[in-house]
Amino acid sequence: MVLQRAMAFLEEEFRSLLEDCRNNPQSNYDIFLKNSSFNYKNQDQSDQGETESGDFPAYSLEVVTKMNKIACAMISAGYETECCQVYSVSRRIAFNEQMKRLEFEKINMDDVLKMQWETLEGEISRWIKVVKTCSGSLFPGEKNLGESIFSDHPLICRSLFSNLARAVVIQLLDFAEAVSMAKRSAEKLFKFLDVYETLQDLIPAINDSCSHECEHQLTWEIAAACDRIGESAVSIFCDLENSIKSDVAKSPVPGGAVHPLTRYVMNYLKYACEYINTLEKIFEKHAKLERSLPMTSNLSSNDIEKESESPHNFETVESKTPFSIQVVTVMDLLDTNLEAKSKLYRDPSLRYIFLMNNGRYILQKVKGSTEVRQVMGDTWCRRRSTVVRQFHKNYQRETWTRILPCLSHDGLQVNGKVNKSVLKDRFKIFSTTFDEIHRTQSTWVVSDEQLQSELRVSITSVVIPAYRSFVGRFKQYLDSGKVDKYVKYQPEDIETLIEGLFDGNPTSMGRRRSS
Amino acid sequence: MPATDCQEASSASFSSLGFSILSRRRDQVHSMESPHEATAQEIELEAFQKLVAERFHELAASNSGELLTISWTRKLLEVFLCIQEEFRVIVFNKKGFLNKPPMDRYINEFFERSVKGLDVCNAIRDGIEQIRQWQNQLEIVLCALDNQRSIGEGQVRRAKKALIDLTIGMLDEKESNTALAHRNRSFGRNNVQRDRKSFGHFRSLSWSVSRSWSAAKQLQALGNNMVAPRPNEVIATNGLNVAVFTMSYVLLFVMWALVAAIPCQDRGLQTHFSVSRQFLWAVPMLSLHERILEESKKRDRKNACGLLKEIREIEECARHMNELIDSVQFPLTEEKEGEARNRVKELGMVYGAIKDGLDPLERQVREVFHRIVRSRTEGLDSIGRANSHD
Repeated sequence: MVLQRAMAFLEEEFRSLLEDCRNNPQSNYDIFLKNSSFNYKNQDQSDQGETESGDFPAYSLEVVTKMNKIACAMISAGYETECCQVYSVSRRIAFNEQMKRLEFEKINMDDVLKMQWETLEGEISRWIKVVKTCSGSLFPGEKNLGESIFSDHPLICRSLFSNLARAVVIQLLDFAEAVSMAKRSAEKLFKFLDVYETLQDLIPAINDSCSHECEHQLTWEIAAACDRIGESAVSIFCDLENSIKSDVAKSPVPGGAVHPLTRYVMNYLKYACEYINTLEKIFEKHAKLERSLPMTSNLSSNDIEKESESPHNFETVESKTPFSIQVVTVMDLLDTNLEAKSKLYRDPSLRYIFLMNNGRYILQKVKGSTEVRQVMGDTWCRRRSTVVRQFHKNYQRETWTRILPCLSHDGLQVNGKVNKSVLKDRFKIFSTTFDEIHRTQSTWVVSDEQLQSELRVSITSVVIPAYRSFVGRFKQYLDSGKVDKYVKYQPEDIETLIEGLFDGNPTSMGRRRSS
Repeated sequence: MPATDCQEASSASFSSLGFSILSRRRDQVHSMESPHEATAQEIELEAFQKLVAERFHELAASNSGELLTISWTRKLLEVFLCIQEEFRVIVFNKKGFLNKPPMDRYINEFFERSVKGLDVCNAIRDGIEQIRQWQNQLEIVLCALDNQRSIGEGQVRRAKKALIDLTIGMLDEKESNTALAHRNRSFGRNNVQRDRKSFGHFRSLSWSVSRSWSAAKQLQALGNNMVAPRPNEVIATNGLNVAVFTMSYVLLFVMWALVAAIPCQDRGLQTHFSVSRQFLWAVPMLSLHERILEESKKRDRKNACGLLKEIREIEECARHMNELIDSVQFPLTEEKEGEARNRVKELGMVYGAIKDGLDPLERQVREVFHRIVRSRTEGLDSIGRANSHD
């Protein structure tokens, strides 16, 4: 009788200790709220909830000791159920309050699926914060509290934590499941991967704290949610193929510039590869390889010419993981697409400029990202470089080497004497051809600065010496009053005009000679 | 008549194809000697109808003592999972047909419906958790009174306290379902004082659905616009939409039955069920529906927070125990002590049934949740892939 009264008293005491401290206004529960940008894999380590450890749950040592004594007394007296009940309910309410402070509100599955992506994206960010806080501070804090209060009863402690964790985790997982069911579209990939990674980080927070059965169940549940998200992510990423295939142009990009598709795909790959470890894992598990790998052919050095015409993506890439294969597939499709687009240019020179620009852009993007480079490998980079160089050579041949015949020293002398009319023709042809080339090509763009300068240098090195030598050798044969009529350009003028090529601004044609 | 119709290779035979799927006269279908052989698809679809019918007959065969117990509810969920699995296979096999109108509309409608079932599953798990709380109170009573050499005043007081908390908890649950409680809900939720007194005040700790979620409305939405396929639609989809319709109905019924049995937020059983008895499964399903509705109208169960038999058993046991305790005077007479032991035994049995049954039940509900998600994702994927191959 006395015991019962004592236990009833202790129960109330226990509850009030648990609740009073919960309502303590001094404790600072404000969670790190800085919003993180969503396109990039951002792992601000600081929002792991480091600021919170020690803040939750905010019971003083004195109070914890008291509670520990009460718990021990109740359990030894056989009042374990009452004790656990009080603790469970109180901690659940406390946890709920924490979630509220993190602005987490339960959204029905149905409603999640109805959300616009913009709204959903915001909810996902909020959710990520909540889960990280749970993993980082709330669960560890809860575990510590349990261990302190039920220090002599580890099984009870685990069981209590398990019950709480189960309720919280499943609630959080429901949201992830709902997100995985959202309509798939390209821009969602990064958020999905964030969700996946956040869930993975939840596992260690639960292991070692739960009962064996609970750990088993929750690990399974988390894995199931990760599977759903993973499958979606794979599907979204692979959908890049369709985006590329469906990008069919009717008219070419002006000036042979880098095509928006190229930019889109390469930037997408770059951002995606920031999640490379996660993507490798997900693809390993979920990718269904519906196509078989193209056979690796043995390329001999005699195939250099052929090699440089095509990047042979599958053969040159080092990594053969499911994810890499997908990346290479995308790369391959992009190349094919660009090849088709290049055929829209009637002018072969422009065609090569286009291929060069895009090829170079691709190469630079790959080299600029550690992860993408890791996937594609150095051999691929070298090969792509060769290909771009070949485009360069082709361009040169198409445009500039046709100007060279008129600067040839041959055919000008008949019986040891310079044929003036042929000479005049030569000069005329040179000027006309050069003008035409310049007029046509001055609006062409090469956005990569290094490539731009390489082009100018190589053109200059082909044209200027030949021109200079021609002018130097044959100018004297022109009638002195008529030199200007035929020698429209001095070599320096040509040089200047060439220097002005490829930045997309048509230079004034008025400036003809330096004097 | 359908048999002879089937023998004609005319458009009439197609409508009777729909008929043959719907009708019970399978033997006549088999006895056809016409060149119109049942295709693999037809066989599969008929087998599906038969499966659903058989399973529901089994469920309906439960007597009134069995109906709406935890174990019956588990059987119900087992039936759902079994049927759902068959349906999944059909969808997989027929994925080529699913993206062609009008089938694409039907299947997408179905997947949208199935999502509504997810929230029901979650709310039901909250309800199961609620019952678990009551189970804990029973445990205390048993702890206090069971296996004691003699029952002293202290133990009785302990039991009494637990019973009071139990009663308050169950009352809270009932109240939260009435219209009155709707208005007062905001008060109850923020009232910390009330939290102190009652363990059962778990309404404010509804984990799984939003505050404004309503089981009644959800069921309404789930069952919205469920119209049996017309013969021309059956023809257009080669009978596939009959399978979809069947699955939709099964889903609706199972969700409805769960809401009927287990406490959940804004419980309401008004969902309209009407389906042609031409469907083999309609009879047992409608019979179950009727029986459950009848149960809900019984005087003593009208305000029940859930129709689960075990809930009523808890109420009764608790009531008996309360009466006994209130009538007790110390020292206990031998007679009273005997009565007490009987009551304790009774309570122990109820407690045992709940303890053994709740966890597996919850696991099953979760399984249903996962299957719905999976099947929807797989289904939409198959369709999507079929689309991109076109």
